[in-house]
Amino acid sequence: MAWYKNIYDWLEHRLQLEGPIKHEIMHPVPRKTASWWYVFGSASFVLLMLQIVTGILLGLVYAPSAAHAWDSLQVLNHDLPLGWFLRAMHGWGSNFMVAVVLIHMAQVFLFGAHKYPRELTWVLGVFMLLMTLGMAFTGQVLRFDQDSYWGLGIGASIMGRVPFIGGPLVHLMLGGPMINGATLTRFFALHVFVIPGTLLAFTAMHVWMVLKLGINEWPTPGRIVRRETYIAEYTELAHKDGLPFVPGAVWKDLVFSAAILFAVAVCAAVFGPYGPTGTPDPTIIATVPKPDFFFLWLYTVLSFLPPELETPFLLIVPPIAVAILVALPFVAGVGEKSWWRRPVAVFSVMFIAICFGVFTHLGTYTPWSPIMNAWSGAPIPVELLHNRTPLERQGANVLQQKQCRNCHQLGGLGGQRGPALDTVATRLTEDQLIRQVLQGGGNMPAYGAALSPAETTALVAYLKTLRPHYQPPAVDASRGVVAMNTK
Amino acid sequence: MKTRSMLSIMFSARFAFCAVLLLTATLPFAGCRLPGKPGEGPEVPRPEQVTNFDTLYGSNCAGCHGANGQNGSAMNLANPTYQSLVDDATLRDVIANGEPGTLMPAFGTKQGGMLTEQQIDAIVAGLRARWNKGNVLAGQNAPAYKAAHAGDAAKGEQAYQTACAQCHEAAPQKPAQGGSIRDGSFLALVNEQTIRTTVIAGRPDLGMPDWRGLVKGRALSEDEITDVTAWLMAQKPATPGQPYPGAGQQGPARIPTPNPVKQ
Ligand code: HEC
Ligand code: HEC
Ligand code: HEC
Repeated sequence: MAWYKNIYDWLEHRLQLEGPIKHEIMHPVPRKTASWWYVFGSASFVLLMLQIVTGILLGLVYAPSAAHAWDSLQVLNHDLPLGWFLRAMHGWGSNFMVAVVLIHMAQVFLFGAHKYPRELTWVLGVFMLLMTLGMAFTGQVLRFDQDSYWGLGIGASIMGRVPFIGGPLVHLMLGGPMINGATLTRFFALHVFVIPGTLLAFTAMHVWMVLKLGINEWPTPGRIVRRETYIAEYTELAHKDGLPFVPGAVWKDLVFSAAILFAVAVCAAVFGPYGPTGTPDPTIIATVPKPDFFFLWLYTVLSFLPPELETPFLLIVPPIAVAILVALPFVAGVGEKSWWRRPVAVFSVMFIAICFGVFTHLGTYTPWSPIMNAWSGAPIPVELLHNRTPLERQGANVLQQKQCRNCHQLGGLGGQRGPALDTVATRLTEDQLIRQVLQGGGNMPAYGAALSPAETTALVAYLKTLRPHYQPPAVDASRGVVAMNTK
Repeated sequence: MKTRSMLSIMFSARFAFCAVLLLTATLPFAGCRLPGKPGEGPEVPRPEQVTNFDTLYGSNCAGCHGANGQNGSAMNLANPTYQSLVDDATLRDVIANGEPGTLMPAFGTKQGGMLTEQQIDAIVAGLRARWNKGNVLAGQNAPAYKAAHAGDAAKGEQAYQTACAQCHEAAPQKPAQGGSIRDGSFLALVNEQTIRTTVIAGRPDLGMPDWRGLVKGRALSEDEITDVTAWLMAQKPATPGQPYPGAGQQGPARIPTPNPVKQ
């Protein structure tokens, strides 16, 4: 007998794992379930493993102290061979993991897999999603750069709005009244011990239940889930028209997981690691902190909400959302599984996906925030300056110097808080321009007190030239009426 | 029993195969220069540590002086004549403290701006390296950057009619292709130095010649330039930009700009 067989037998004699493992991996699954649609769960698991491995390697170098964290990332980025690649794998792995987990969840929901008897699997899954997001957030904090610093600040101010216990909560989260070394230690503990430990335990239970309860069958319209008959029907289906999980279904999982890992590696190699952006120094105000990709939608929503709605939104909506997700399998635990017969479910998923996409897209270019250096940095297109009089050109200087460009684009450059001004003279007459500039309104500050009469004159003279030569200037309609009447 | 354990070996073999495939696919990346590899230094240096001219100019000056130092709303900095006319100390002073009476802001930290002395030095060095084409004024008997004495406004009108009127305007109601420079609001937004610099160095990007090309056949004299500048500044009305000049100071007084984008 070969030597490795001896070792194997010695171990197996004591561990006795072969039987149970074989039993599990050979269990039959319904034939149609061995589908490419069912690969996202295993891919999430593989990504979690990737995060753990890369995370441990990062942990060997990372210094969880406020004074050294940023520097230790610089060491990884620049001094250690492939250190940057490791950071990039971990960062992109995180993005992919959130994405794949969300897709997994949508797929499970659309295929009715949350229904009887898999309610608890779903509920655990909801908490695993929250933990994944928690990992993404705490991970961003550990980067301890400007984004992370302000992200923490925002997190703390959200906490601070909780009635009665807000103050102590902030204290607990930051390890003091403000962001300091203890804050980072806390988040390190959360990111490295608390959340991953819980997440692994939940994952084990989640997978255990998947094995025990069997993989959800392919939903067929008219095949109704009933508590009394489901188990028998499922077992019959799996045995009559089934495949052993290994190798019948597993190869698709393996191929997909490998493809996802490869995609992570390609993204890491091409786009590189995230930041760290500037040092986390609150005295640097020339910064536009932004959350990581998966919190951009929240950033957008908060930017659009009127200030008085922010607190209710932050404190009420998340608990309600979680409650809905948890309650789902108990409210809709039986009945049709097929998406053909569940229009509300399908439209809900579509609605959420579209909102998420739109908000995320808006979050990538934040049209609501002024661009703070556009006034001095964004040139005016040459064709909007040539053939102007010296007065009009001074008007352009006023436009820049008074920081109008921070909110208004010319030639596609500048802030987007207000409308682009390239063709403003086709829309507004001189009087209207003067009024808008002096009195502001509609989210534009009034400049009356900040502009001298000469500056106003020059500015309006310039704005009046902002139209294409083939388009007539705006006219005051009432003047035409008066002219007709006096004829 | 036998086939079962075969299967589990197959399973792990497949897995190992995938893993190896993956490693071999990613490893060659590791050697060469990948696009994702971070460049030298931190991705976002502290703002006061930026000393790259393109970055500094691009975020602080391009908005008014044009992307390439020309065709902007303010002075043509990429003008070799201007570069020869002005000295480093003046450049440093204008950038740090602004140009009083004009819309040129102060950038020095002492004046509440964001640029340190080193950064201002880097800008001056960059302006020179990029746009100074050697001393193009050598042997041209060029007027000095600053006027040596006050001009005589009374003589200035004559100089204006000789040197400027054909392109700007002969009389207030007769605009010419260069546009009015006697407009009260325009004059309120420039100072003597702006006009002097424009007359001596010209605005080649806009088609205004320098002091040598304004009058046919000869260059303007130092006195003519000083006088015409003084005369122009004297044309500035008491209440510039007021539609009803007789009505006195009713319009809003000039108040220092608050930061308008404060929410
Ligand atoms: C804080 C951002 C902000 C700044 C700074 C700002 N604006 Fe606006 N501006 C706006 C917004 C928002 C609107 C749209 C107002 C509305 O919807 O009624 C607007 C509208 C305008 C309009 C009307 C455009 C149209 O098509 O109707 C003009 C003209 C204008 N601004 C000129 C200026 C000028 C000139 C300055 C500088 C002196 C300036 N703005 C500075 C935000 C700003
Ligand atoms: C808000 C617009 C604005 C910005 C931004 C700005 N400038 Fe100016 N600058 C002006 C104006 C206006 C003048 C006066 C001359 C004129 O009217 O063209 C001027 C004048 C100058 C002059 C003096 C010209 C002379 O008469 O000798 C220099 C030099 C100069 N700027 C350099 C800079 C540099 C360097 C920066 C970037 C750090 C900068 N400016 C940014 C508007 C600006
Ligand atoms: C050959 C024609 C010509 C002559 C002569 C001329 N200019 Fe100009 N000037 C121009 C042009 C062209 C412009 C650009 C104006 C425009 O495009 O609106 C200009 C612009 C100016 C400007 C504004 C510069 C700016 O940054 O906007 C000033 C000030 C000026 N000229 C002063 C003078 C003075 C003073 C004289 C007489 C000493 C003079 N010019 C003679 C053609 C001329």
